[in-house]
Amino acid sequence: MAQYPPNLEEIVEFFDNLSEDEKRENLIAYADAAPSCAPKPGETFDLEDVRKDAECTDTVGVFLRVDPATRAARFRINLGPHVQTLTKAMTAILCKGLTGATPEDVLEVPQDFVPRIVGGQLIRVRSQTVYYILTRMKGICKVWSQRQRAAAAQGPSSA
Amino acid sequence: MNPKFEGYANPGALVDADWLQKHLKDPKIRIVESNEDVLLYDTGHIPGAVHIDWRGDLQDNTVRDYVSPQQFAEICSRNGISPKTTVVFYGDKSNWWACYALWAFRLFGHKKVKILDGGRDKWKADGRPMDREKPSYASTTYPVPPKRQDRKIRAFFQDALAFSKAKKPLIDVRSPKEYTGELTHMPEYPQEGVLRGGHVPGARSVPWKTAANDDSTFKTAEELKKIYTENLQLNPEGDTIVYCRIGERSSHTWFVLTYLLGYKKVRNYDGSWTEWGNRVQAPVAKGEQPG
Repeated sequence: MAQYPPNLEEIVEFFDNLSEDEKRENLIAYADAAPSCAPKPGETFDLEDVRKDAECTDTVGVFLRVDPATRAARFRINLGPHVQTLTKAMTAILCKGLTGATPEDVLEVPQDFVPRIVGGQLIRVRSQTVYYILTRMKGICKVWSQRQRAAAAQGPSSA
Repeated sequence: MNPKFEGYANPGALVDADWLQKHLKDPKIRIVESNEDVLLYDTGHIPGAVHIDWRGDLQDNTVRDYVSPQQFAEICSRNGISPKTTVVFYGDKSNWWACYALWAFRLFGHKKVKILDGGRDKWKADGRPMDREKPSYASTTYPVPPKRQDRKIRAFFQDALAFSKAKKPLIDVRSPKEYTGELTHMPEYPQEGVLRGGHVPGARSVPWKTAANDDSTFKTAEELKKIYTENLQLNPEGDTIVYCRIGERSSHTWFVLTYLLGYKKVRNYDGSWTEWGNRVQAPVAKGEQPG
């Protein structure tokens, strides 16, 4: 398996070849696309996790649907208006990059792609929340996996 | 002039949005955006505004310090700023970083500085024009300042320690839970690497937000006098040191005391709690009392 799920690998490789200015331009484009990551009317999910954490400036909602046949995950993410631009960009990148991966794949994704996308100039202590969205996506996948295991352990009649 | 400004000690230190919108193309002014959100300027800014980043432009990125006078002159030159240019700062977070950038400009002796009352948030909330075009200005020849005025408006650890021992005015502008030591980070922010929680012994707690309205504008002169001069009994002629975590929120209070209330000797301890709270053997007070 590649280091990252295929869609994310493609995004990382794309950013790898950009100058710092080009990275900025593309991050803005992704940030602009973040609202399209929100749940659409009529969509249903296996799990929903909407909360305001102490380390993020606004509420973030993460929604997960896993295809029962392929185990492919589909994410939707809702952001409050005060979320920082980098967090918005990372939301759109991760929604696109992790779509189709299994929850287990998502749990294995290392964080080291973030500096490759964001670049050296924009990483600073107060921008550490760029990691926050990935942490939340892993969190919902972990809960989903635990529930699957618990249901499997109880047998087919109660699954 | 905005009638609110007339009550301040230096009414010209602020501009309101109506004034700025009429001066967007005034060659004598340069509008500078300075934010915490590192990409916010790129998402749209006041037309004609340039971006000066508090970290990338104003700080030395090796040593924890500010850029040299030579580097400051280069920043001004490439942004079309001369010593005669009036620089109007604005930004996110109720102008924290705008005040920080203004303070840094004062460190290098640039005199013509102003803040947009309400900052970026109010400008945008009022539906005023924004655009994404990055302006380009003819370079100026900005003379290299002879020195950085560190002793005048900047305080260091030893200065704050001396104030603590002598019970001189030290103002902690962080949130109440950071002051008491319950939190080692700002609410809604990641931990910025502080090992101890609490405050400098003797420091009084006056969160920066006390000086701002919910729409990010500054409170009136009467309200500010009541907070700092009457209730806190600060002496406008005496020495005062303000601090927070890295010096940005305290720049806001420094601006209020220095420009809006006309205090003569206010210094910003920019090492702030990320220096004090990590320093071996630095005394720390916990709880709600100054200690």
